[in-house]
Amino acid sequence: MNVWRIETTLLVLVGVLLAIATVNDLARQASTNHRLVADLSTWRHYTEHDYHNISIDQETLGTNNQREVLCGNTSAGAPGSNTQICLAIWGPTVNGRRTVHGGWYLPPYVEDLPTERYGCFGTPVRRLCTR
Amino acid sequence: MTVSMPIWRPRPSGLRCEPQRFVSAVAQGERRLAHARSERWVSLLATVCGLLLVAAAAEIVIDAAAGPSPVVPKSPQLAGWLGGLGERLGYRGFLIALLISVAAYAGLAALVRRFHDEAISKRWAIVLVAALQLIVFVGPIMLSTDVFSYVAYARMGVEHGLNPYTHGPVAIVHDPIYRYVGHDWDRVATAYGPLYTLLSYPLALLGVVGALWGMKLEALLASAGTLALTWRCARARGFDPVAAILVVGANPLYVIYGLGGAHNDLIMMLAMMAAVSLTITGTSSSRREAGAAALVVAGALTKATVAVLLPFMIVSKRRLAPIVGTVAALVVGALIGYAAFGVHGIDIVAALNRDAAFVSTDSFANEIAHLLGKPGVFPVDHDLLKGALVLILVHLLWRTWRGYDWIAASGWALLAIAVTSTWLLAWYILWPLPLAVVTRDRRLLAATLIVQGLFIAHQISPLLVPVQ
Repeated sequence: MNVWRIETTLLVLVGVLLAIATVNDLARQASTNHRLVADLSTWRHYTEHDYHNISIDQETLGTNNQREVLCGNTSAGAPGSNTQICLAIWGPTVNGRRTVHGGWYLPPYVEDLPTERYGCFGTPVRRLCTR
Repeated sequence: MTVSMPIWRPRPSGLRCEPQRFVSAVAQGERRLAHARSERWVSLLATVCGLLLVAAAAEIVIDAAAGPSPVVPKSPQLAGWLGGLGERLGYRGFLIALLISVAAYAGLAALVRRFHDEAISKRWAIVLVAALQLIVFVGPIMLSTDVFSYVAYARMGVEHGLNPYTHGPVAIVHDPIYRYVGHDWDRVATAYGPLYTLLSYPLALLGVVGALWGMKLEALLASAGTLALTWRCARARGFDPVAAILVVGANPLYVIYGLGGAHNDLIMMLAMMAAVSLTITGTSSSRREAGAAALVVAGALTKATVAVLLPFMIVSKRRLAPIVGTVAALVVGALIGYAAFGVHGIDIVAALNRDAAFVSTDSFANEIAHLLGKPGVFPVDHDLLKGALVLILVHLLWRTWRGYDWIAASGWALLAIAVTSTWLLAWYILWPLPLAVVTRDRRLLAATLIVQGLFIAHQISPLLVPVQ
């Protein structure tokens, strides 16, 4: 085999690897986006507020486990300017929504820290609240 | 007489026993007709592709000027006069226009490859490329906040007497440009070469909006220069220059991302193509080779990446001239950089090492990490990637020593840097493109376009989610 052929073979292999990695990542992103769209829909359905400024946290309930916390205002206003309701959501998507397993409230203009949470509901998330 | 004697031969169709003279005349007529028809079709298809490219670019620019958009960073009003013409540009709308551009570009590239200059005239190609560049030039800054950092560094030096190599833009928090600088970069000192920083200083005197237009104009002129030199190099090497400028100048990543963001990569590419042009046009001489090496150093004093061309040029020429040119330009550049910015102004390696540690979601390294089930790139992966890059560069140097085209080797090196980088941005995969269209190794162009295609494919996930 001459150098040209070896190079071309390696290039094709690298190209195939990059293509597989790209398609895999695209599918992963699409799946995440589907899940987050379902989460937003769940928050709006649960709170009966059609708000669009809702924050999504993918770390509080652990990373890479498809469990999210979504926080948004309980009444109209700028993001975080009123009391916020946070919902812990996970599970399969059914009819465009997922299951709310619990949640808590936050005072206006505060970050979602355990010390700020109050009015916790739902057994699975009670350990995340300190008051 | 042989000439007047009819010669009989079987034909696949038509009358079986026609004199060849008659057959030839008819066949030639048919061929001419078929050729004219195919030329008309190629012309028509090329026109459709060109119009689609122009329409998609115009749609993106006009809608981007209409108001806040995820594609347009927060910016001073630059294209207000276009504001009333379009609708707010959403990410989906942008992606659809981008995909239309890509399809039209692919069609155009296929036509120029298949039919060369049969039906795509020089004038048509130049008008198309110029139209695309001008459409993006008159619009707002798109898809990147880098140009605001360029202006911030210039204003730090000119307006505030601060060294942009020791301070981040946060040092001028009350300056009007500060609010537009990307959040990730506000504490980061400049990573660009001292030549570029000095080139940007006069623009700081024009105010924020004036400086931004100055940056846009610089990018436009650099792009025009790059395309002119690409044309020249393609012709000197016996390639179709029309195909060369269409492949580079109509490339959606080049136009929308590169020029749309007024990136200084275009200035680096201008220096790169000027160096290549010096070595392959005209008669070879020591002065030209030294000049070419000096131009590469000038490019590296704008953005360091282009320095990768130097070892290939030196190994290929095997003469003293490129080394002399490199050393002379480095000495002059270092003296100027040191005089203007002190020792930090010439410590480009530190800046490169700092930037190499960043990770972007679009990098292939990150995608491969996800494929292997890892959450992202770890420090050990950086070392592995650097090792792979060194191996590739050594192999390319060995090939160049054995007679492989140094321009193609440089193109492969630039592509390898982009692919192995954990911090991959759209304009990084433009670097090898002008080199790819002036080399005989067609694999380089194919690989560059495939990498660009994969990059664009990775952007389209928002299109796969139902509209809310």
